[in-house]
Amino acid sequence: MHTGGFVLPVCSSGAQVEFPTPAQAGAFPREEIGTGPREMNTITLLQSIVNGLMMGGVYALIAVGLTLIFGVMNVVNFAHGEFVMLGMVLTYLLHNYLGWDPGVSILLVIPVMLGVGALIQKALISRVIGQSDETQILLTLGLSVLLTNVILLIMGPDYLSVKTPYKLSVVALGPILLSVPRLIAFMVGLSFSGILWLFLNRTTLGKALRAVAEKPEVATLMGINPKKMHWLAFGIGISLAAGAGSVLTPFFYTFPSVGGLFVLIAFVVVVLGGMGNIPGAILGALVIGITESLTAQYLALDLAMLGVFIIFVLVLVFKPAGILGKGKLY
Amino acid sequence: MGMKDPDRASSKKYAPLILAAIVILVPLAAPSRYFLRTLVNIFFFAALGCAWNIIGGYAGQLSLGHAAFVALGAYPTALFLLNWNIPPWIGFIPGVVLALIVAYLLGRLVFQLRGPYLALATLAFAEIVRILLLHFREQTGGSLGVTIPFRGTSVWKLQFASEQPYYYICLGLLGFCLYVTQRIHHSRMGYYLQAIKENQDAAENLGVNLSGNKVRALMISAALTALMGGFYVAYFYYIDPDSVAGMDLSIKILLVAIIGGVGTVWGPVVGACVLVPLTEISNYLFGGGRAGASLIIYAVILIIVVLFSPRGLVALLPGGIQSYRSE
Amino acid sequence: MVIGMIGLAVALVSPALAAEDVQVALFVMLSGPGVDLGKMSRDGAEMAAEDINGSGGIKALGGAKIKLIVADVTSNAAQAPSVTERTLSTGKISGAIGYGASQMTLTSLPVIEKSQIPLVTSSISDKITQQGYKYVFEICPKGSHFGATQVLFLSYLRKKYNLPIKQIGFVYENTAYGTSTAEGLKQTALKEGYKIGLFEAYDAKFTDASPLVTKIKASGVDVIFPVSYTTDAELIISTMQAMRVNPLVIGGGAGFIWPDIYKSLGEKINGVFSVGSWSWDSKNIMSDPQRRSVVERYKKRFGTFMPEQAGEHYAMVWTLKEAIEKARSTDPKKIRDALSSIEITRGPAALMQPGRIKFNETGWNLYVHPTMIQWQKGEPRTVYPEEDATHEVIWPVK
Repeated sequence: MHTGGFVLPVCSSGAQVEFPTPAQAGAFPREEIGTGPREMNTITLLQSIVNGLMMGGVYALIAVGLTLIFGVMNVVNFAHGEFVMLGMVLTYLLHNYLGWDPGVSILLVIPVMLGVGALIQKALISRVIGQSDETQILLTLGLSVLLTNVILLIMGPDYLSVKTPYKLSVVALGPILLSVPRLIAFMVGLSFSGILWLFLNRTTLGKALRAVAEKPEVATLMGINPKKMHWLAFGIGISLAAGAGSVLTPFFYTFPSVGGLFVLIAFVVVVLGGMGNIPGAILGALVIGITESLTAQYLALDLAMLGVFIIFVLVLVFKPAGILGKGKLY
Repeated sequence: MGMKDPDRASSKKYAPLILAAIVILVPLAAPSRYFLRTLVNIFFFAALGCAWNIIGGYAGQLSLGHAAFVALGAYPTALFLLNWNIPPWIGFIPGVVLALIVAYLLGRLVFQLRGPYLALATLAFAEIVRILLLHFREQTGGSLGVTIPFRGTSVWKLQFASEQPYYYICLGLLGFCLYVTQRIHHSRMGYYLQAIKENQDAAENLGVNLSGNKVRALMISAALTALMGGFYVAYFYYIDPDSVAGMDLSIKILLVAIIGGVGTVWGPVVGACVLVPLTEISNYLFGGGRAGASLIIYAVILIIVVLFSPRGLVALLPGGIQSYRSE
Repeated sequence: MVIGMIGLAVALVSPALAAEDVQVALFVMLSGPGVDLGKMSRDGAEMAAEDINGSGGIKALGGAKIKLIVADVTSNAAQAPSVTERTLSTGKISGAIGYGASQMTLTSLPVIEKSQIPLVTSSISDKITQQGYKYVFEICPKGSHFGATQVLFLSYLRKKYNLPIKQIGFVYENTAYGTSTAEGLKQTALKEGYKIGLFEAYDAKFTDASPLVTKIKASGVDVIFPVSYTTDAELIISTMQAMRVNPLVIGGGAGFIWPDIYKSLGEKINGVFSVGSWSWDSKNIMSDPQRRSVVERYKKRFGTFMPEQAGEHYAMVWTLKEAIEKARSTDPKKIRDALSSIEITRGPAALMQPGRIKFNETGWNLYVHPTMIQWQKGEPRTVYPEEDATHEVIWPVK
């Protein structure tokens, strides 16, 4: 019981009479108080799946970059999340100082990051190709810490948000509601991933990349310069991650350590789909997105990542080559 | 040790004694509480680095989730203290036991994996621990963490109003970790671990029990880490999942060991002597939220070390190479 | 010549004899997610220090001025103790005020107690005064109090407007602040005979409120009591609107009564209720010209109504000042003793509702209680309880 000068008034008892219709806390005038009878379970389920699917599109874009880097260079990029973060920061700055919408910014972010990626690859990553795993892991880990804290120093630790006019808009698909910024992110994510796949399979350059990934010795004999392919792969990989960051900004806070959240998910997706396997990564991303959403909805909000990690451990232990089995076994 | 120069040899013998004397007498001349506190921090991270070193440095199995073991040591200690008034010097035992069990299970599960897969598995492990600690709010306090009230100096409860006792306790714990590392360094197990680190398959062919050695190393490492987790509770009075099971701590631990020198006894100490003061300086300079920026320096050092001096800073010190096992 | 020398000596020595500044540590969150809270606190505290120094300083110490030593505790609860330790290590601090978020206060208390420097706090977690600490003084209501007031207010509304409420739900941010309040909510709700349809914690730093709102929707509750900070409050309300979920909202203070939410939601915030630990327009303030001028000057200077945090920090600095006057000393231990026996009924310190401050033996302000506000025309106005209310509930809302 609470002491102090606080007196509890007498309990109220209510007589049931018709009540007026208040509009409360919102833009929509309502018919009655309350959210109606307990919502049908199927709708909640579908809504949850749809929400997860939409995030999955973004995860796909992040993951395909990661898996490409691994496929072509055999490097596990622990700093991948930081490139998502860089994309977010760039987009935020463009929005804040120039008023650019993230959908426009992405067109600048991706080429810029392509260049940045190539630079980093030449300066740092190239030195550890072929070296021990530990060396590679530590290098990219160091890079990750470096990037996070440089941005921390420059931008400060505050959580920044990009406020777009469509931030709160929703599109209704029957009883299912789709948040517009997430829908856009989903579409961008999937389409760019698809573009990557087309690039790898339909263009000469893309095929050259694949050649280096699958049979490096033969590729060199064919006149393909593996070093060039490496920085192309790295550049593409991280620029896609940065692009994902761009489309995330309307509904996700931007802050220096946000990368950490995404890198873990990206790795789970990549392992699930098989390292080096692009379609696997896309599929894996959708699966993980849905898993995360369903776990949050039906288990508990704060356990969302747990479902994801459990899948991760299971795959690692029982089928490290990935669900689709086409990935590179270590 | 090379006996090239008798004078050098004998001065080498006295050096550790002098160092020990200085370290023991420092608290008497310490200019401020804050100074001692910084030293305690150094000892703390050095000990953690030492513990990590056993599995990460000697065995070469990179654990990116070691903070989880800190938490496994800290939480039981804190909860026993808070709920049943059991002092930390008893309460740490369940923590260490828990860490041993978890290390065993984890090891058996993930040591079949190699390189990045193993690293990722340890990352996932630490996150799982953190998420579970956050979720079971009733038992662990969730994100509120566990706060140990300070009720005045009490030797029984290991609570002191002044810094000196903490200084000596932490120094003792560090000494213990160094001792364990030293024993492993000169033992057959240390030899096997190094073989595993150089080339697992070759080692296996030579008859080295991969799984057995790795798991044993992890268990020892986890136990020491959990021990320091217990100290954490007694010294900082507050734990929460993010500070004791989070990625930040895991990274700091491995930075201390790697920058200082993996696979050496004194490497982590060197690493901590660099890392902790740098953190304090940047806290002072940048203050507030930007303080973490000191990590930029470590990141740069790490990258440099990885690229140019994979044996860590210890290798750069005179006679440092001697610290390594004779090849 | 001699007189000249004596005169010179006196002139040289006088400044030394004149009062030295009294140093008061101000622990606020100036970085990280809590930065808006920190800024409001700092504004209020600085205004108080200026008012004190401008009106003659601390008279018992010869007009000594108050100097605020501002320290950024970041928004990381594990950092706060180190910052506290560092700030207090100068040995010149006589008292402290802070921290803004209960989580920070709780983790720093062992350091405060060890340093033996009295802390006046506006943090609301029940745990603050339950640990037997002698150096903490809580000026504001407790978390469990808030919860109780909110539910009782619901009963008051229900009776007044005959609302058929079948189920109520609680969602709360999962640190000390939210958890404390939620406990109070639950206890009182059960006592009042309400059916609880939802009781869910969430992470205040989350960026997606849709799983939470989906749960609110699925539970079918008629009234929702969210206990949130700023960004999460905004997210929850806007997501509820987007997902067409419209229960009656009775906010749990913090984010729901700070200016920021009006800045982001605009007109849409009008009609929302919330509990608060301090209101700028309660009777005890409006009826006293000196206190009234405080909130008016704040508005002119900072462009917005005086928010909860600013008001409390203003009151806390003045309370500390009164204690120093009573102790006639800068010795922290004496100030602590003064605080434990002081009773304030007049002056700017009595800004806290209902206008009376006295700390009980655990360090809690005996007379304080929460107030309920309703957003009307872009400002929160006190509507409950009767003894503090200066405005009527507007119903139906809009």
